[in-house]
Amino acid sequence: MNKEYSCKVLKREMLTQDTAYLTIDCPEIAQKAIPGQFVNVSCSRFLKRPFGIASTDKENGTFNIGIKIVGGGSGELASIPEGTVINVLGPLGNGFDLSSDSYILVSGGTGVFPINFAYETLRASGKDVTMVQGFRDKSQICLTSDDYIVTTDSGDYGIKGTCIAGLDTIDLKKDQIVCCVGPVPMMKAVGSWAEAKRLKCYISMEQRMACGIGICLVCVCKKKAEQEGVPFEHVRCCKDGPVFEYGEVIL
Amino acid sequence: MTRLGVKVGSVSLKSPLILASGTCNFGHELSEYYDLSILGGLSSKGLTIKPRAGNEGVRVAETASGMLNSVGLQNPGVDYFIEHDLDYMRSLNTGVIVNVAGHSFDDYMAMIEKLDPHKDKIDALEINLSCPNVKAGCMSIGTDPAQIREIVSAMRSRTDLPLWIKLTPNVTDIKSMALAAQNAGADAVVLINTLLGMVIDIKTRRPVLRNNTGGYSGPAVKPIAIRMVAECSKVLDIPIIGCGGVMDYKDVLEFMIAGASAVEIGTASLIHPTCPVDITRDLTDYCKSNNIDLSDLTGTLELW
Repeated sequence: MNKEYSCKVLKREMLTQDTAYLTIDCPEIAQKAIPGQFVNVSCSRFLKRPFGIASTDKENGTFNIGIKIVGGGSGELASIPEGTVINVLGPLGNGFDLSSDSYILVSGGTGVFPINFAYETLRASGKDVTMVQGFRDKSQICLTSDDYIVTTDSGDYGIKGTCIAGLDTIDLKKDQIVCCVGPVPMMKAVGSWAEAKRLKCYISMEQRMACGIGICLVCVCKKKAEQEGVPFEHVRCCKDGPVFEYGEVIL
Repeated sequence: MTRLGVKVGSVSLKSPLILASGTCNFGHELSEYYDLSILGGLSSKGLTIKPRAGNEGVRVAETASGMLNSVGLQNPGVDYFIEHDLDYMRSLNTGVIVNVAGHSFDDYMAMIEKLDPHKDKIDALEINLSCPNVKAGCMSIGTDPAQIREIVSAMRSRTDLPLWIKLTPNVTDIKSMALAAQNAGADAVVLINTLLGMVIDIKTRRPVLRNNTGGYSGPAVKPIAIRMVAECSKVLDIPIIGCGGVMDYKDVLEFMIAGASAVEIGTASLIHPTCPVDITRDLTDYCKSNNIDLSDLTGTLELW
């Protein structure tokens, strides 16, 4: 049975001016989570807040989430005192297909967090991974490495341009899978880039959410209808996603 | 029957707790969290004759102690439900309540004709005359006693299944709506569906919800629901199922004292999916320590 866990926040650090990184104690989630999944976290607001899992440490029984401050709830969680106990539902949703041998991972915005988890997992199993990170400017850079291809819109760090400029520097291999998490325009651009190169591509959607477990139907994405008589269908971001194959949902 | 057992007219339930329509889908997802057989029942997602994709764009807005939704009756259609979900709901070993919605008189009648042949698998039909998120039917019927009477009596003549009429609080006098349902042959009324509300984004000066308005639910609406149950309890002969903002066992007791025979849990499941487990445990403890059967509480309210 799935559970709601009471978990202690062990550590909080600020990665950028408006982005916090929490280490949370929960052996069950650390054990079960796969990259692309998320957790729904309580704060003093009425609804929980969803965050992509950024990393797990099975040995120590902890996992990490990154929190970009966008409103009251995320602001509160980003400044939560270490030692606070929070309610966490998870791991939720479907993760990435990690069965291939070679990957290109692309991230932007809060997408760096789930993509970081995918990178760590793939590298731990010895797979070939090329990492591309696209940021607005240097001040937004986090969870990076000298091994990654980094682009900035402003050009004050790495390659100037969008992540497509970074992707164009890669020598492509056969059967490489692309996983991209970021703002919709980025996922659109990367999806169509991958399509042109005949590479399979997965994206991860973000919507305003309530339950996170598929019962309230508020966080839907549009999908081309299979049934007759309906212009389109809605699929649940939380339960049917958040990871979808590019082309599956209408961006 | 244990101390939690209740009766809603002819329908016996092992507990007063029913999962409210639209907050449990058809039970599949919550079954991953707890054994739903502890419940008195499960009310299906609101169903319509044809599949509905529901409303587009942002469908949820948060408030200080509640939320607005504008899902707009997204559902796979009644035929798909009968083929894929009804047997599953029956297998959960709890009361099977099927929530029936529609856009017109004819829609509701067509729904009854589809569902009546499956009456051996259904404990009650919950007739949704109260969804605020669709352009026609539902709430526009439930705010007019004449239309309530017309539609309920026509359904009554087409099925022997218990008819629970879910009413909208967006009216001046809830008693006249409930009496119209009773006089037309309803077996029970469910009070209340969501309140029509709006949340505005002050930066964009537009409503947060793409549908502009939505149905307000959560603990903020509970006093309104309690008041309506108490008012109707004084004038009705048929049972009432209370609904609105239940978060814990004390809320359940409050509804029952006000006059409810059973109580629906809605928005709470979206916050804490396993809250019915805690509420069941706490109600059991309450009955034990007060040495009463829970159903003894129904309608024990004494007004000043």
